[in-house]
Amino acid sequence: MLEVENLHVHYGGIHALRGVSISVGQGEIVTIIGANGAGKSTLLNAISGIVKTSEGAMTFKGSPLPTASCAIVKQGICQVPEGRLVFANLTVLDNLMLGAYLRHDHKAIKSDLDRVYELFPRLRERAGQMAGTLSGGEQQMLTIGRGLMSDPELVLLDEPSLGLAPILVETIFQVIEDIRKAGKTLLLVEQNAHKALSTADRAYVLEQGQIVKSGNARELLDDPSIQESYLGVKQ
Amino acid sequence: MAQFLQQMINGLSIGSVYALMAVGYSLVYSIMSFSNFAHGGVIMLGSYFGFYLLTLAHWAFPAAFVGAALCSAGLAVIVERVAYRPLRLRNAPFLYFIISAMGASIFLENFVVATIGPTFRTYPTVLPRAPIEIGSVYIGRLDIMIFIISAVCLALLVYFLDRTKVGKAVQATAHNARAAKLMGINTDLVITLVFAIGGLLAGVAGVMFGMKYTVYPQMGGITIKSFIAAVFGGLGSLPGAVIGSLILGIMETLISGYFSSQFRDLISFTLLIAVLVFRPMGLMGKATEEKA
Ligand SMILES: Nc1ncnc2c1ncn2[C@@H]1O[C@H](COP(=O)(O)OP(=O)(O)OP(=O)(O)O)[C@@H](O)[C@H]1O
Ligand SMILES: [Mg+2]
Repeated sequence: MLEVENLHVHYGGIHALRGVSISVGQGEIVTIIGANGAGKSTLLNAISGIVKTSEGAMTFKGSPLPTASCAIVKQGICQVPEGRLVFANLTVLDNLMLGAYLRHDHKAIKSDLDRVYELFPRLRERAGQMAGTLSGGEQQMLTIGRGLMSDPELVLLDEPSLGLAPILVETIFQVIEDIRKAGKTLLLVEQNAHKALSTADRAYVLEQGQIVKSGNARELLDDPSIQESYLGVKQ
Repeated sequence: MAQFLQQMINGLSIGSVYALMAVGYSLVYSIMSFSNFAHGGVIMLGSYFGFYLLTLAHWAFPAAFVGAALCSAGLAVIVERVAYRPLRLRNAPFLYFIISAMGASIFLENFVVATIGPTFRTYPTVLPRAPIEIGSVYIGRLDIMIFIISAVCLALLVYFLDRTKVGKAVQATAHNARAAKLMGINTDLVITLVFAIGGLLAGVAGVMFGMKYTVYPQMGGITIKSFIAAVFGGLGSLPGAVIGSLILGIMETLISGYFSSQFRDLISFTLLIAVLVFRPMGLMGKATEEKA
């Protein structure tokens, strides 16, 4: 579904991605794990058209990915960014409706809104509240819900469980499974490598802007070097 | 008492024009975080557009009014394209925008001096000069018209921002442009739109300012007062810009009415400095950072 080939990204003098190639198949959950600063967010932002690439090619469903971020969203790729980037000065409902900014199918938008409220009942209770007044966890639910409102085919999730209480982490990963069941494809970036590898089908390990390992997520979960670097298991 | 009421009404009228101008400063600031000093130039040219549409093209007043607003909107969009967009695409530091804005402002002023000339021009009389008499209070017809038109424009702006999808997209872009892009919002288009709206209001304000006073190339300098009002109210906050402008307008007329018009501007600038010292975010500006 998504093919990324030999992608390079520079921030001024910093060479953040050095020839990254990944592929994501229809209906898969693919995860990218890596240390802080490895370039995970950069990769998602390159796919979303937020950062410029200096080299490489990306195709989505067989055709080249557009470069403008709005055109990419229109193609059915949405990113749920890290750091709970809600529109704090707007209500929860406004935030969700902005997720559906490019859509005009009012009936379907309404039913997607109900689905988001089912996934996160808390958002329905808080619909009229300013998003900036939500708790951190609620804001994270809102960014995920807002992303789903675009009715994407491919969801890019950037560290959805960061800074959440364990019970909420469970909820988020449950939602990730639900999203997949609804027929969507997911590319998941996570610090919580254990959760990510147990949920995903396939995984890539990113180190200093390069893919150093890839394969079946279960197998990587049992890989001794992964266990040592990312799962905190002492050999 | 009658005199006081009259002063208040004059103050509201001039304050509402400041509000139209201040909102233009605030809108651009809320999206791009810099003070668009070229705005004064657009207001000045808006005044000239209206003047020439009335006197040379002999348009009817309402048509000239709308025409001047549209021309100003176009001009504001051109200024953004030429002076700011290239900087934005290169992620230039904030200071460059300010310098570019000042450059654009000086350019517009001197362009008018060089082409049209430095003379003051007076708008043709559109409304009867005789004031309306209510009890012992005299209210100028022009003041009433200015207040009503400003109020309608501001109400339309609030409706647009708060009630329409595109208005929400403007607010989202103002809050976080990157997140807005992730929603599929074309933020370049939003910026163009914001300049167009600012320009539209600048044209309206320019025509009314020209009718109340005169038209001349340096009149953009006076609009710096509306910038003061925007800072006073809290730059980036629309209610702040409006309230700051009304307060400034009323203060100015009261000071010149009861004291001396010589002190008017002195007091305006003192006000700005005092606000910046004691409350840097202005009356209605955001005091706290949003949650991370
Ligand atoms: N806007 C930027 N300007 C300059 N350098 C940047 C910028 N964004 C990221 N970088 C650098 O690029 C590298 C990769 O950053 P990125 O945010 O992609 O890492 P990450 O893997 O998402 O890390 P984390 O797990 O901490 O979120 C880092 O060294 C970072 O400092
Ligand atoms: Mg990151």
